Amino acid sequence: MNPEVLYVMDPGHGCHLQDRGRLGLKRFGVPSGGPMDPHAAEWANQLLGNPTDAPILELALQGAKLAALQAVWVAVTGADATANLPLWRVLRLDADDVMTFSKNVSGVWTYVAVEGGFVDTPVLGSVSTSPRIRLGRSFNRGSMLRRNSQHSFSMPQGVAGRMAPIAEQRNYAQPPSIRIWPGPQWDRFSATAKEAFLHHGWTLSPRSDRTGYRLEGKPIAPMLGQLISEPVMVGSIQIPPDGLPIVTLNDGPTVGGYPKIGLVDPADLPWLTQARPGQRLRFHLA
Amino acid sequence: MRWVPYGPHALLFYFADAVGEDAFRKVRAITADLELHPMKGLIDFIPSFTSVLLHFDPSVVPQPQLHVLECSARLKSAMLAKPPELETKSIPVHYDGPDLKRVADHTKLSVAEVIERHSRTIYKVYALGFAPGFAYLGDLEPRLHTPRLATPRARVPAGSVGIGGEHTGIYPLDTPGGWNLIGRTPRVMFDPSRAETSGNHQDAFLLHPGDCVQFLPQGRP
Repeated sequence: MNPEVLYVMDPGHGCHLQDRGRLGLKRFGVPSGGPMDPHAAEWANQLLGNPTDAPILELALQGAKLAALQAVWVAVTGADATANLPLWRVLRLDADDVMTFSKNVSGVWTYVAVEGGFVDTPVLGSVSTSPRIRLGRSFNRGSMLRRNSQHSFSMPQGVAGRMAPIAEQRNYAQPPSIRIWPGPQWDRFSATAKEAFLHHGWTLSPRSDRTGYRLEGKPIAPMLGQLISEPVMVGSIQIPPDGLPIVTLNDGPTVGGYPKIGLVDPADLPWLTQARPGQRLRFHLA
Repeated sequence: MRWVPYGPHALLFYFADAVGEDAFRKVRAITADLELHPMKGLIDFIPSFTSVLLHFDPSVVPQPQLHVLECSARLKSAMLAKPPELETKSIPVHYDGPDLKRVADHTKLSVAEVIERHSRTIYKVYALGFAPGFAYLGDLEPRLHTPRLATPRARVPAGSVGIGGEHTGIYPLDTPGGWNLIGRTPRVMFDPSRAETSGNHQDAFLLHPGDCVQFLPQGRP
């Protein structure tokens, strides 16, 4: 079978492949990368019977237009970008069918999986794209996406009607309060600062990307004293001297000197990453 | 050894209170030990100046906090062992960066003295971070400490050698950056194609945690 499966008519605000990311290289400064919303990405793959970490297409916000180059099973999950096809279920595309994602209304990241998963040449063990450090590929108008056709692929029985359970189809416009864990410097922040972080509402800043999300609101008192730079986990809530939190994300630095008041629970992180600029967010201790 | 949980899947151990020879010996010993004898369920580890992060796969180690004693004993025995031989890597540098004068003014040294002092120290790779292959080098002579630029540059070319506060380092990629640029090296800090050739991901990085670096001045400005 011809491996070329999708043609990028328009990449929109961003069109990249993600798999489970680059693991085991953080001590060399390589962030893991990977999908911003693993919950949605894993569902798209799972619906098709792919390995949950098979390479998947991650679309940002809106504007993408993708044409099928052959008949193929797909599943689209994640952000609502007013697609011309239903999300969270398996669909059959015919050659020349076009998927359009015209207007983002909730969430940020939309995932497109194809039967067998996409393929590309891995760099350091992953096809994930991390734009900040220029690893992986950005797809442009005219790019072709290839699917895995090396292994003979057999669709699981009953795939045509397969849908994610309603409870798993998230409404990103109404995130729950996000669970956090105390960060390594939790005890070094004043009681007032901790209280303020948990009880003020925060608004997601437009200055947010795969490296980190910034939160806007009433600044909290920064930690007193110096911190020797130390390892930083994805989901860390850092408080720089201006008192406005920055949450480190998939393409962010692996070592840093800002104190970390908390860590977003990994299971709740997709609620944060799917928040749109201007959206209100609340946090509570796990 | 002090430790803190870092979320549900990771532990952060502090093995020193300050940077310096003792902390660096521990960085080398821990890195060598964890590379040679991988810990069960460890997805990743990050050694840095005075601490090391152990990040576990929750499907193998669901509650790392139950294994603190074990991890702590493991790190202690690693630190007691003789660290591997020091590897000093020589890096040729053309000292002709756009901020050389700024560093000279700030430190009240001549440009020649800045170059002489910067290149006479053998630096320690305490950690890599910020970008792939970006090594934080210490210990920079206190006299050369120079504050970062008030406004970072939008693009610093790969190979630039800079001073940022008390650190010095080499930019591995064209990235934005706020360090004072004092020179440039032709050596490639990060090249994924080297890893594809050898099949070993670590070969993509010229500098590894625990290495030492000596800058060799090339010509004179």
